Amino acid sequence: MGRGTIEKLGAIQQGELSATENVQQALDRIKKLDKKIKAFIELNPNALAEAEAVDCKLKRGEHMGKLAGLTIGIKSNINVKGLRATCASRTLENYVSPYDAEVIRRVRDAGGIIVGMNNMDEFACGSSGETSSFGPTDNPVAPGHIPGGSSSGSAAAIAAGMCDICLGTDTGGAIRNPASHCGVVGIRPTQGLVPAHGLIELAVSFDQIGPLAPDVYGAALMLETIAGHNPKECTSLDSPSVNYSDKLGIGIENIRVGTSSKFSELTDSAVMGVIDGAVEKLHDLGAEVVEVELPNLEKSLSAYYVIMFAEFFSATRKFDGRKYGRRIEEVCGDEVLRRITCGDYISRKDQHDRHYKRALQVRTLMRREFGEALNKVDVIVGPTVPKLPHQLGTKLSPAEMYAYDYLTSPINLAGICAGTVKAGEASGIPVGLQVQGKVLGEETVLRVMRALEAVK
Amino acid sequence: MRMKIGLEVHEQLATKRKLCCDCPTDYREDPPNTNVCPICTAMPGAKPMPPNVKAVDAVIELALMLGCEVVLDQPIYVQRKHYDYPDLPAGYQHSSTPIGINGELVGVRIREVHLEEDPGAYDPVAGTVDFNRCGVPLVEIVTEPDMHSPEEARRFLRQLMRVLDYSGKVRPEPGTLRADTNISLEGGTRVEIKNINSTKGAYRAVKFEVMRQRALIERGAVIPYETRAYLESQMITVPMRMKVVDFHVIPDPDIFPIVIDRARVETIRKRMVEAPHQREQRLVKQYQISQAVAGVIVSERELADLFEAVAKEVDPKLVATWFQTNLKKVLNYMKLRATEVKFTHKQLAGLLRMVKAKRITPEQGELVLRKLVEQPAEPEELLRKLGLGRLGRAELSAAIARTIEENPKAVKDYRAGRKEALNFLAGKVMKLTRGRADPREILKFLSAKLKGKKKRRVSRRTKRSK
Amino acid sequence: MAERKKEIERSAEEIVESFARAAEGLPKLKETYYNQETCNVSRPDGEPSSEEERTEFRKRFISIMPGSDEKGNLRVEVAKWVEER
Repeated sequence: MGRGTIEKLGAIQQGELSATENVQQALDRIKKLDKKIKAFIELNPNALAEAEAVDCKLKRGEHMGKLAGLTIGIKSNINVKGLRATCASRTLENYVSPYDAEVIRRVRDAGGIIVGMNNMDEFACGSSGETSSFGPTDNPVAPGHIPGGSSSGSAAAIAAGMCDICLGTDTGGAIRNPASHCGVVGIRPTQGLVPAHGLIELAVSFDQIGPLAPDVYGAALMLETIAGHNPKECTSLDSPSVNYSDKLGIGIENIRVGTSSKFSELTDSAVMGVIDGAVEKLHDLGAEVVEVELPNLEKSLSAYYVIMFAEFFSATRKFDGRKYGRRIEEVCGDEVLRRITCGDYISRKDQHDRHYKRALQVRTLMRREFGEALNKVDVIVGPTVPKLPHQLGTKLSPAEMYAYDYLTSPINLAGICAGTVKAGEASGIPVGLQVQGKVLGEETVLRVMRALEAVK
Repeated sequence: MRMKIGLEVHEQLATKRKLCCDCPTDYREDPPNTNVCPICTAMPGAKPMPPNVKAVDAVIELALMLGCEVVLDQPIYVQRKHYDYPDLPAGYQHSSTPIGINGELVGVRIREVHLEEDPGAYDPVAGTVDFNRCGVPLVEIVTEPDMHSPEEARRFLRQLMRVLDYSGKVRPEPGTLRADTNISLEGGTRVEIKNINSTKGAYRAVKFEVMRQRALIERGAVIPYETRAYLESQMITVPMRMKVVDFHVIPDPDIFPIVIDRARVETIRKRMVEAPHQREQRLVKQYQISQAVAGVIVSERELADLFEAVAKEVDPKLVATWFQTNLKKVLNYMKLRATEVKFTHKQLAGLLRMVKAKRITPEQGELVLRKLVEQPAEPEELLRKLGLGRLGRAELSAAIARTIEENPKAVKDYRAGRKEALNFLAGKVMKLTRGRADPREILKFLSAKLKGKKKRRVSRRTKRSK
Repeated sequence: MAERKKEIERSAEEIVESFARAAEGLPKLKETYYNQETCNVSRPDGEPSSEEERTEFRKRFISIMPGSDEKGNLRVEVAKWVEER
């Protein structure tokens, strides 16, 4: 551990480190640390056997995929055949997945070895990692604090060096938020770039699977592995494939970077101080910093939640306990039940127009505002989360908890992409810079992230 | 007591794959839960495949056949309609917004036609579910409450089934119909009956329901709005005790909307099958045949196709008569549907031309027709095989003369005014000629001869035998 | 338990109301249901999936069913309207 993704891949390819050794190290580290951190819910019993198969192929000199020998953690809301996709809920506690998600097929094809299923907020309903039915995840780099959520276990696993790359999901910030709190790299791709088949939805029209990694290179590598059209899905984008990892080092000279005064209005000054420092660095690297208008940014949150409630209510109707698992309302936690209750209410015929339809109108507004702002610049940068992570066990009202998503959910509403990379620390706790890009603007977003990463 | 009946009819569409997954739609021979995948069983996280375009086109075509306007140039959403029932694995059913609206069939207005997905098969008594049929595309046809008696409902359903069969767009296997029926009696409340699986079932369910509601109204009781299930075995309806549900309808975020443009509709219209009720009217006009005959001819699409092909070559009126009587008779006798007929329209036209030209009698024609259905061949050849061929005048005269010679008693009876003796004699002639003579001609000549014998017996005979 | 449910309902109502208020005053634009303005994404009819694929899934599906009969039917509740008779 401790080396970057490039070095590790090199070591595996050179035969200095076998896939089996890499998996064994991961398993050892999980065994040592995970009782306290709780980043994993279940481990893959076949991981070592799969690693041996990869080693055999490597020895024979067969062509191997981009992830050959790397250890991969999977968020528990993604189906991996034979493992339990519990969504960290009692509802699906015993649901052994009968099929592979499309992204899992791609990870396997690329030689990635799945070590286990990560902890998360129950059904991705949470921004702290505390709503898991299997207990909250600790923040490895700020012990005693929340790791953020809902991809809490994924970010924590990376931060604790338990595996090389993780797949998380981001519906309103669930990759970027824990990446920020744990000081790792996370990408939420453009809506539709990564196939969603096999992702147990929070809100289908906002969900995206994306990577969490210790460095930008690892995130880029995973993204180019899983991205790309799946003709068997309606909403999968038919976009050309891009080798993001090849283009990270180009630099950011003359790139136009937008900032907005809205960000500082909504963000704690301790966090903002770190972000301002990062923007300064980008400027020093040759980027042109421009102020952009996002007049209704703070209105996104409510629209995001309303649409998510409606879609979540719909998505959870299948958890009736008849075909598999247990009936959701009978066993789920408070936050899941609250969201189902909200969704039930707002998608009723008589409430539909006032709530759901209205939120869809705000969605149009946000798409427009971000579209206009991104016409003027290449990326918009700002904080990921408005405040530092609270201490585990602190009682927060739902509204306070939702407020964590103020700066991340607009991106999901607009359907664009964004990534988070560590910008620095405040009171010893990591703070992530959010880099927001255009539709399919991942390449530029990753270049900016890499530039900042390289300064440190 | 006046009543209003409206129907929501569902029928499976004939596609090879399900609407949103690649599982086969033909499941009848398969064990339970065989033709299923993560999508049609609603495994967590499974996403629908893009909808099967053939199903969408089929609904457009059926909408046109039912005289609907197709909803053009605006999004038709595939929606999620939520309810909690064991047959519905996702907890919602895919159901599109209307594809066709404002249609009409035999005086009943069609409110809308849209696309749906079949739920699984729930056995409410055993408490088991088989998802093999889950996700098979359905057309749903919703009528206005324009029927006013069980008989009208039955008549409409029969007509509708004929349209659906005709289209070739629905699954040919019997027993896939499902008809939710709404009934309200004057002074009552609307009651919905589910679990109706046949035209007969609909008729009986409505009949029972009218009786039940009438008895309640007469007792002064209030009829509650409710959903009832029809129990086929007992021919009664029982309350389903379903909660009044709000379907929480939202467009499915996983499936993009369908937008139909005029070009697509016109392409479908061009290749579309003419609806039987429309065809019936056209046949009446075009071929100058009666409504009743046209009705028989259009009862099966293949029968009507055959008729029109033959009517191009032979006098349509003769063809129509033959279709209504002889052909229908032979097919019924042999228990065949028109689609199973193997002979060509040319062969049938050839046969009817012989009848028209009086080369053979209609009775002989029917013998040939029977043979034609059994073992298709050219009519000339069949004629030879059967040893048929119309009798010459001379031969007929000889047979008549012989009959008169051999049956003096009957001749005497006839001349004494007993008309039925003529039939007896004609029968004898038929026998002698082994059915090769036209009975009408036999009667004509026989009676002429019997009358003539009295007066100018010799001269006529001489003339004839020339 | 009932109290928990009531408390959740109360908080849900509060949240929904506050979110409705948040949207007040914003322009009434056309609703965005989808992330792309795409329509008519469909697939052709064609040969169904392979039997092997389905057989493998069937085995796994039946193994996670809470109840099944010997034929492979999913076992669920008997309908209420049947029970009452």
